[in-house]
Amino acid sequence: MRAGKTVSVEATSPKKKKNNNNDKKKKKQNQTEKKDDQNLLKKTTESANSVQTENDASLKIQELEQQQQNTTQELAATDSDSDSDYQVFSEDEVSEDYESLRESEDGESESSGDEVHGSDDDVNNDNDDGHEDQSDGSESHQGIEESDSSEDEVAPRNTIGDVPLEWYKDEKHIGYDISGKKITKKERQDKLASFLASVDDSKNWRKIYDEYNDEDVELTKEETKIIRRLLKGKAPHADFDPYADYVDWFKYEDSLHPLSNAPEPKRRFIPSKWESKKVLRYVRAIRKGLIKFDEPKEEEPRFYLMWGDDSSTAEKANRLSYIPAPKSKLPGHEESYNPSLEYIPTQEELNSYQLMYDEDRPKFIPKRFTSFRSIPSYENAVKESFERCMDLYLCPRVRKKRINIDPETLKPKLPSRKDLKPYPATCYLEYKGHKGAVMSISTEASGQWIASGSTDGTVRIWEVESGRCLRVWEIGEPVHCVAWNPSPELPVLAASAGQDVVLLNTGFGNEEDQKRVGELLQVETHTASDDSDNMASIVSWLQDDKLGGIRLRHFKTVTSVDWHRRGDYLSTVMPADILFSVHLIFIVFVYSFLSMDHVFHPTRSIFFVSTKKTIRVYDLLKQKLIKKLETGLREVSSIAIHPAGDNVIVGSREGKLCWFDMDLSSKPYRILKCHPKDITNVAFHRSYPLFASCSDDGTAYVFHGMVYSDLNQNPLIVPLEILRGHTSSNGRGVMDCKFHPRQPWLFTAGADSTIKLFCH
Amino acid sequence: MPKHYRPAGKKKEGNAARYSTRSQALKLLQVNTKLFRKLCIYKGIFPREPKKKFKGNHHTYYHLKDVAFLRHDPILEELRAKSSYLKKVTKAKAKKNRELADSLLKRQPEIKLDRLVIERYPHFIDAIRDLDDPLTMVHLFAALPATDRMKIEVKRVHNCRKLSHEWQAYIARSHKLRKVFISVKGIYYQAEVEGQTITWLTPHGLQQVLPDDDVVYDVLLTFLEFYETLLAFVNFKLYHSINVKYPPILDPKLEASAAELYALSRYFDANSRKNSDQVEETQLEESELRLAQLQRQLPSNEAGALMQLVKGAADENEEDEDTKECKNFFKNMKFFLSREVPRESLLFVIPAFGGIVSWEGEGAPFNEADQSITHQIVDRPTQGHIYLSREYVQPQWVFDCINARIILPTEAYLVGRVPPPHLSPFIDNEEEGYVPDYAETIKRLKAAAKNEILPMPGAGVEDLDDPQNLLAEGYISRTEAIEAAERKQKMMTLEKQYRDELKMELQVTQSSALDTNKQSSGEDMEAREESLPDIQQIANDTANMSKVLMSSKKRGLYEAMKKGQERKKAHVDLLKERKKKIDEGKKSKKN
Repeated sequence: MRAGKTVSVEATSPKKKKNNNNDKKKKKQNQTEKKDDQNLLKKTTESANSVQTENDASLKIQELEQQQQNTTQELAATDSDSDSDYQVFSEDEVSEDYESLRESEDGESESSGDEVHGSDDDVNNDNDDGHEDQSDGSESHQGIEESDSSEDEVAPRNTIGDVPLEWYKDEKHIGYDISGKKITKKERQDKLASFLASVDDSKNWRKIYDEYNDEDVELTKEETKIIRRLLKGKAPHADFDPYADYVDWFKYEDSLHPLSNAPEPKRRFIPSKWESKKVLRYVRAIRKGLIKFDEPKEEEPRFYLMWGDDSSTAEKANRLSYIPAPKSKLPGHEESYNPSLEYIPTQEELNSYQLMYDEDRPKFIPKRFTSFRSIPSYENAVKESFERCMDLYLCPRVRKKRINIDPETLKPKLPSRKDLKPYPATCYLEYKGHKGAVMSISTEASGQWIASGSTDGTVRIWEVESGRCLRVWEIGEPVHCVAWNPSPELPVLAASAGQDVVLLNTGFGNEEDQKRVGELLQVETHTASDDSDNMASIVSWLQDDKLGGIRLRHFKTVTSVDWHRRGDYLSTVMPADILFSVHLIFIVFVYSFLSMDHVFHPTRSIFFVSTKKTIRVYDLLKQKLIKKLETGLREVSSIAIHPAGDNVIVGSREGKLCWFDMDLSSKPYRILKCHPKDITNVAFHRSYPLFASCSDDGTAYVFHGMVYSDLNQNPLIVPLEILRGHTSSNGRGVMDCKFHPRQPWLFTAGADSTIKLFCH
Repeated sequence: MPKHYRPAGKKKEGNAARYSTRSQALKLLQVNTKLFRKLCIYKGIFPREPKKKFKGNHHTYYHLKDVAFLRHDPILEELRAKSSYLKKVTKAKAKKNRELADSLLKRQPEIKLDRLVIERYPHFIDAIRDLDDPLTMVHLFAALPATDRMKIEVKRVHNCRKLSHEWQAYIARSHKLRKVFISVKGIYYQAEVEGQTITWLTPHGLQQVLPDDDVVYDVLLTFLEFYETLLAFVNFKLYHSINVKYPPILDPKLEASAAELYALSRYFDANSRKNSDQVEETQLEESELRLAQLQRQLPSNEAGALMQLVKGAADENEEDEDTKECKNFFKNMKFFLSREVPRESLLFVIPAFGGIVSWEGEGAPFNEADQSITHQIVDRPTQGHIYLSREYVQPQWVFDCINARIILPTEAYLVGRVPPPHLSPFIDNEEEGYVPDYAETIKRLKAAAKNEILPMPGAGVEDLDDPQNLLAEGYISRTEAIEAAERKQKMMTLEKQYRDELKMELQVTQSSALDTNKQSSGEDMEAREESLPDIQQIANDTANMSKVLMSSKKRGLYEAMKKGQERKKAHVDLLKERKKKIDEGKKSKKN
C-alpha cells in the first residue's frame, strides 16, 4: 500500500513545477498505482482466506471496493500532501522494489531532482521523510511476503480465467482443466430432490455451490469462523492484532549512515511566535467586539404602537397626492365552487372558446364541485398574485371620474313635439305613375301642382290634392331635375335630361300668361340663337316643337337646374366642371370649377355654389366671391337656404347635415348625424320653421328649425319626425324632398317610382 | 436635477419638465432596475400619466417630485449599503472563506421599514383602507411551501402564518367578519374594521403550485416584506385597542397541533379575564376625568349639553348594530368539526359569529360524544354513528347561513347530498339583472324569518289562530308568489292595452288617409300587416330622435354605455337561456 503512495509522491511533486507534461504523467501514474493496488489486494485477500474461491463473490467484491475506495482516497491525500510537505527524493534513495515502475518516469524525476536539489533545507526535509517512507515500504513488503506464503494452496480446477460465466451457460462444459481438457458440467439435480436432500442434510448450511468450478464446497469449521469474523468487519485470523504496537525497525541514532544527521532544530522546542501573535490578535478582536459569538440574541420588541393618537394631524407632506390602487374585483356567482347550473358553460360553448382568440377567450371558466372536500388548489394563485403586484408597481395611476349615470340622461332635452306642430308626420297620398325612379320634384308657386321627373324619361305634372296625373311629357332621356319657375306669371317648367335643359310650357295660368309664355318660348329662341354666337360652343338654343318648348343643349350632362326667385334667371350644373347662369335671353356669366349643387339667395342677388368640401358665396352684382363656408364634410351633396337668407343647410354623402349660421361663422353652427347613408337632398319650408332631409336609407327627417330675429339667440333645431314609407331599390332610397309652398306638407320622391305626400 | 446642456434661452417646459421616463429616473437616482423596483415598492411610488407623453406611448413616466422623493429617502442609502455589504459576502464565498461568509451573513444590517409604514400611512385608517392586498398576499404565502429555489424561507412562511392567525383571531374576537364566499380560487372573507370593508382571499389549504416561468419571485417577496411589517403594526394597534398584549404568547401544545387560532382565542380569554377589572377601572377614571374637564370648560347652566356629551362617550364603547347581530348569530349553538372538514376556515368563521366549536384531535375543548353539540359538520358522503340530538350538515351550510344572516333549514345540506348552489354575497342581484333561484328562496326565507320575529300588526292575531301557523314559511312564500303573479298579470294586461291603443291610433290615421285617398283597399291590408313592426319602429324613432342632436363626444359616450349595457344584457340572456334548457331537461327527465 505504502509503496503505491511513495510512487505517487515522487511522480506528483514534479508535476507541480512542470505543468506542461503533467496530464500524461498523471494518467500513467494512476494506471500503475491501480495495478499495484489490485495485486496487493488479491494477495491480501487470498492470504486471509486461502480456501475461499473467487465465487465467494459478495464478500470479496465488498472488500475490493472498500480497498479501492481507500486507495483513491489515499491518492487524493497524496496529491494534496505532495503539494504541501513532500519533496522529491533523490534517485539513490529509491528502493529497488520500485525500479521497474520508475523506469518509465526516469526522465521527469531526474529533471525534477535537479530543480529541487538547490536548497539545503529541502534536503533535510527529504531526509526526514525518507526515513519514514522507507519504514513504510518495509512494512508493506512484509505484508506482501505473508500473502505470498499462503497463496498456492489450492489451484482452481477451471482455467478459463476471469471471464463471465454466462459464456459457458449453453455449453456442456464449464471450462478447461490445467491440461486443456474440457470439464463437463455435472448433471443438475431436480430442484425438489435437491431441496429434500438439503433438508435432510444437517450440514447443509455449510455447503456452498461454486459456480466457477461447478462443485459443492463444504466449509470447514475454521472457514466459517473466518467468514463470521469478516462479516463482523474484523481481521480474518483471530490471532491477528490490528492494533499492535508499532515497532520501529530502523534505528536512527546508532546507524552508521543515518538518513539525516541534522540536530533537532530549535523551533521544535520553543512555542511558535506566529501562533501566539495570531492568538493575541483574536483576543484583541474579541475584546474590541469585532468578533462576536453567536449568542442567542435578546429579541427586542420589534413592534410598537405606531398610530398612537390619530387625532394629531400629520404635517402636510410636500409631495404629490397618493392615489390608492383600485381594489381587485369582487367575485361573482360564477366563481363559486358550487355555482348554479346555469353559470356553467355547455360543452359546445367550451368548444367555441377554443376557436376564439386568446384575448377574447373568457379568463375564468366556471367549474362545479359537488362538495367542499373535492375543491383542488387553484393553480394560478401565485401567478395572479404576481400580476396584481406588477399592476401595483408598474401601472400608471390616474384619478378618473367615472360617470355612473343612465345613458338616457345624456340625451338633450327636447321641447315637446306637440308644441311644435304642425309638421308633416304621416303619409297622406301617393302619386303613382312613373315607371322609373323619380329623380326630382318641384312644386308650383301656388301649391296646386307638382312636377316630377323620372329616369323613365318622362316629366309629369300632378294635382296635389287628388293625386291625379295631369300631363306627361316624353323627353326621351332620363330626367335628372325639374324646376318650376317661381314667378306665377310665367308657368314654365325647366327639366334637365342628358345634355339638354328643356323649358316646357305647362299651359297653366290665365290666357294672358299663356300668351306671354308662348311668345317667350317662341320669340326668344330666335334672338337667343342670334345673340349667343360666342357661347355657341357651350349652349345651343333649339326649338322643340314636339314638346312645345325650347331645348338648351349643353356640351355635357346637366344634373341640376335652378331658377332665380323672380324667374328671370336660370342656372344649371354640369358636375363635370362648369356652371352657367343663364338669363332667359342671354347668358350672364360662367364659372368654371367643380361644383355639386347651387342655389340662389332668396332675397338678395347672392349665389351659393357648393364644391366638394366648401360652399362658395358669390355676389352676382359685383361678380365676386364674398364668403367661403368650411363644411368639414367629406362630400357635399345638397344645399338649401333658409327663406330669410342667413342660414344654410348642407347635406353630405356621409349622412351628416350641417347648419350654417352665416352671421355666426364660416364653420357649421351644428352638425346633425341623422342618416346612416347619403343625404340626397335637403329643403327648407318657405314659411313654416321646418326643414327636411332625405336620404338613400329610405327615410326623410323633418326638423323644426326656428331662426329668431334677435341676433343673440341661436337658432333652435329640434328633430321632429322620421318619415318612412319608401322602399329602397338599387341602393337608392328617397331621391328628393320638397315642401309645399303654403302648407306644412312634404313631398318625397322615391327610387321606388312613387311620390309621397306627408301631411300633419 | 441633472445638469445637462440645453440651448441658451430654451427652457424645459411642460410635461417634459415635470415628468421623467423610467430610464431617466434610473439615471437620476444612480440605481439599477432591481434597486429601483425595490425602492418603488417600499415607498409606494407608482408611475403617473402625463397629459402629453413626450417620449411616446411605450414609456413609463414618473413624476419628478416622486423621483426626488425617492432620492431624499435614507432607505436608498441603506439599500446601497446593504448591496455593497452583500458584495463582501460574495467575495468571501469566492475565496472559499466559508467562515467569514457565514459570519458576515449573520451580521448583515437589517433594514427596517417602520418609518416607511408611518410615512405611507400617516393615519391608522389609511392603513386599514389599503389592507386588502397585504392580507391576501400574507395569507397566500402562509400556504406556500418554503423552497430554496424561489428564495421563500421557512422563517417568512412561518411569520406569514403567524400574522394571518393573529389577524383572524382579532377579527373573530371582535366579531367583525361580515361575509364569506367559497370560490374556486380560495375563500374570500369580508370584514368591517373601523368602518372600512376589507376583503381578502385565502387559498384552499392544499399544496400550492409554484409556477417557474411567469413569476418573478423577487417582486413578490419585496412586496411581502413591506406587507409583513405593515400587518404586524396593524395587528399591534388592533390588539392594543382591545387591551391585549402583542405579540401574543401561545400555548406551545396547541400550536404544535396546528390549532393556532384556538390557542390565540384562549390567549385572548385569559388576557381579557385578567384585564377586565383593570379596564373597567381605567375607563371609569377616564370618564370621570373627562367629566371634570368638561365641567370646567362649559358654563354650569348647560347641563343638558354635558349630559349629551357623556352619553356620546358611552355610546362609543358600545358596538354597532351589525356587530351585535354577528356576535349573537350562532349563539347557543355548539359545532363539532369532523376530520375531513376544512378546519382552519371554520375555526375562524364560527367563533366570529358567536358559535362554540370543537374538532376531532388533540387539544380540542370537547369531543364528539358531547351531548350538547347541536351541529356536526361533516364533509364525507356517509356518516357512521349518528347522534339524534344534533344535526349533521355540510360545511357550506355555515357559510350560506352567514351570508344570508338567517339560520337556514338544514335539509338541503344533509350528509351525502349535493348542496344547493353557493352564491356570492358580493353581488347585487338586482343590479346584475339576473337572480338565481336559490337567491330567491333565501330572500323568501329571510322575509319569513323577519315576519316570525315581528308579526305584522293585525295580521299577527290571525296568524296565531291560523292552524297553518307552523307552516308560516311556506304560507308566506305562497302568498308572496301569488302576489307577484298577480302583479305580473296586471302588468301584462296594461301592456296589452297600451299596444291595442297604439294599434287603434294607427288604424285611425290610416283609415283617414284612405278616406281622402279613395284608393284601392289592397293597401289597407298591407298597412295592417305592417302595423306591428311599425309600433316598434315608432318607439325606436322617438328614442333616436334626440340622439341626432348630441355632440359627437356625448354620442360616443352614449354609444359606449349602450354597448356595455347590451353586453350585460347578453350575458343575462345567456344565463336565462341556459336555465331554460336545464329546466326543460329536468322536466323531460321527470316525464
